[in-house]
Amino acid sequence: MKLALVDYLILALYFIFVLGIGWRLKKSITTSGDFLLSGRSLPVWITSLAFIAANLGAQELVGMSASGAKYGIMTAHFYWIGAIPAILFMGLFMMPFYYGSKARSVPEYLKMRYDEKTRGYNAVTFAVMTIFSSGISMYALGLLLHLVLGWDFSTSVWCSAVIVLAYTFLGGLTSAIYNEVLQFLLIVAGFTPLAMLSVLKAGGWSGVTARFHQMVLPGGMPGDVMTHAWGYMGKPSDNPMGVELFGMVAGLGFVLSFGYWCTNFLVVQRAMAARSMSAARRTPLIGAFPKMFIPFIIIMPGIAAVALSKMGVGYDLPLMKDGSTDYNQVITTLMAKFYPAGMLGVGLTGLMASFMSGMAGNVTAFNTVWTYDIYQSYIRKNAPDSHYLTVGRVTTVVGILLSIGAAYVARRYNNIMDLLQLVFGFVNAPLFATFLMGMFWKRSTGRGAFSGLISGTVAATITWGTTVAEGKGGIFGVVHTFPSIMAQNFWIAIMAFSTCLLVTLVVSMTSQPKPEAELEGLVYGLTKIPHDPNAKWHEQPVTLAVLVAIVLIIINIWFA
Amino acid sequence: MDLRVPSGWFFSLLGVILLGMGLFAPENRAELTDVNVNLYSGAAMLVFGLFLLLMAWRATRPKA
Repeated sequence: MKLALVDYLILALYFIFVLGIGWRLKKSITTSGDFLLSGRSLPVWITSLAFIAANLGAQELVGMSASGAKYGIMTAHFYWIGAIPAILFMGLFMMPFYYGSKARSVPEYLKMRYDEKTRGYNAVTFAVMTIFSSGISMYALGLLLHLVLGWDFSTSVWCSAVIVLAYTFLGGLTSAIYNEVLQFLLIVAGFTPLAMLSVLKAGGWSGVTARFHQMVLPGGMPGDVMTHAWGYMGKPSDNPMGVELFGMVAGLGFVLSFGYWCTNFLVVQRAMAARSMSAARRTPLIGAFPKMFIPFIIIMPGIAAVALSKMGVGYDLPLMKDGSTDYNQVITTLMAKFYPAGMLGVGLTGLMASFMSGMAGNVTAFNTVWTYDIYQSYIRKNAPDSHYLTVGRVTTVVGILLSIGAAYVARRYNNIMDLLQLVFGFVNAPLFATFLMGMFWKRSTGRGAFSGLISGTVAATITWGTTVAEGKGGIFGVVHTFPSIMAQNFWIAIMAFSTCLLVTLVVSMTSQPKPEAELEGLVYGLTKIPHDPNAKWHEQPVTLAVLVAIVLIIINIWFA
Repeated sequence: MDLRVPSGWFFSLLGVILLGMGLFAPENRAELTDVNVNLYSGAAMLVFGLFLLLMAWRATRPKA
C-alpha cells in the first residue's frame, strides 16, 4: 500500500490536534486528583465514549475483523453477549458501590471492602498486566505498519509512544479521556465507509447472505454459519468457533465479560471520572449504545471480504508466506482496494488512533494504581499531594518506557507473551466472583476473598493443565478434550469463577466479618442507591438500560 | 475546555480536505469503488464538524 501526500497531511493534522488538546489541558492540572482521576468532573457523553474507546484498541479492530472473516457474524457475540449485559450490570448494580465508596481505584475498593492483602494482590497483578497489554498492542501495531506500509518497527513504536507520552504527561487522565473521544469519532469516521463500500460491493447484506448460502466452507460446514449468529450453536461441531450455547453464554457472556467490564480498572476508571453518581452510572449505559453497533463497522467488512474473494471482482484474501490466509490483514487490504488517497489517510489515522487510545488507557490506569495503590500504600505514605502529582507524572514516563520494553520482548519472544497472557487469564478469571460476593453479601470477609482468588487461579490452572484443545495442553494429564481453544478458555473461566465463589463462601463463614458500620457505602443493603423520580427519562439509569436491552434483542433476532 | 470545539474543528478541516480532493481530483478512485468516496465522506465529516461547533457555540451563548 502506498500513501499519498494528502494521507500524510491527515495523519499530521491528527497528531497536531491530539498534542494541542494535551497542551490546552495542562493548566487545569494542579493536584494529583486532577492528574490521575480527572477531578471527577467530566460530562457524561465524554466519559461514555471514552469508556468504549479505551477498550477499542488496534488489536481489537484488527482482531475482530479477522474473526469476522474466520467465524462470521458469530464474532459479534463478543459485543452482544460478551459486553452489553456486563456493561448494563455494571452501570445499574456496581457503579453505586464504586462511585459511592469514594475509592480512587478498583484495588482501593477491595481494600475498603476486604483487606490490605486482597488490594495488594489485585494492584500488583493489574499493574503488571496493563504494562504487558500495552506492550503487546504496541508490538501488534508496529508489526502491522511494517507489513502494510513498510514502516520501520522501531520508528512506529517510538513515534506513537512519544505522542501518547506527550499528551498524557501534559494533561493526565482528562487528556487521555478527551483524546479517546476524538479517537473514537475518528475510528467511526474511518471505518464506516469501508463497511458500507465492502458490503455494498458484495451485494448488500442480502447479497452476502445469499452468496454464503450457496457456499461450503473449507471445513465442510455450510456457508450459512457465517451469517447466522445463533442458528448453529446447538453443538460445538456445528459452528466454526467450536463453541456450544452454554459455554458461550456462561463462559463468555457471564464470567469473562462480567470479569472484564465490571472489575477491570481500565474501563471502570472512565466511569469513575464522571461528575456525579448519576453520570457515573449512566456512563456504561450510554456507552452501550455505540458498543452494540461497533460490530457493523468492524466485523461486517471481514465477512464481506470473504464473500468478495469468491466473486472474482478483484479482491483476494491476503495470504501468509506459507499460503494460509492472513486474517489479520483483511482490514488493511480492504482499505487499499476501497479507499482512494485522502480517505485512505483517514482510515489509517483511525487505526493509529485506536492504537493510541488503547495504549493511553493502559498507561493512565497503570499510573493511578501505581501511584495510589502501590506507591502511596507501601512505599511512601502521608506525603504532600504535590509529591504524588510528581510521582504520577514520572510514572507516565516509566510506564511508557516499560511498555516499549514489553513490545520488544513480544517481538523477540513470542512464546513468552502467549504464556503471560495465559497466566493473566488465570489471575483474572475468578475476580468477578470476588466483587460479586463483596458487593452483594455483607458477610463475606477479606480472608474469604483472598483464599477465593488464589484457589480460583489454581482451579483455572488445573483446568487448563488437564484438558486438551486443538492438540495443545494436557500437561498434567488429559481428563477432557475441547473442540476448540475458545471453548477451553470459556470453560477455564467457568471453573475459576465457580471455585472462587465457593471457597469465598466457605472461608467467609468460618472467619470474622467486618462490623456493619465499616461497610456503609460498600455493600448492597448498607448503601443508599440514589433514585431521583424527577429526572428526565434519559437521565434515569433503569430507563436507559431497558432501552439498550430492547435494541439488543432486536439486533439479535435480526441476525439470528 | 469544551471538547466539542477541537473535535468540531478537526472534523471540519478533515471534511474540507476530503471534499477538496473529491471536487478537484474526482478521477482519484480506488480499485474497487465506482463512487467518489472522498466527496461523500468529506461532506459528511464537514457537516458533523460544523454540527459540533454549532453545539459548542450554543452552549457558550448567555441564556435568555
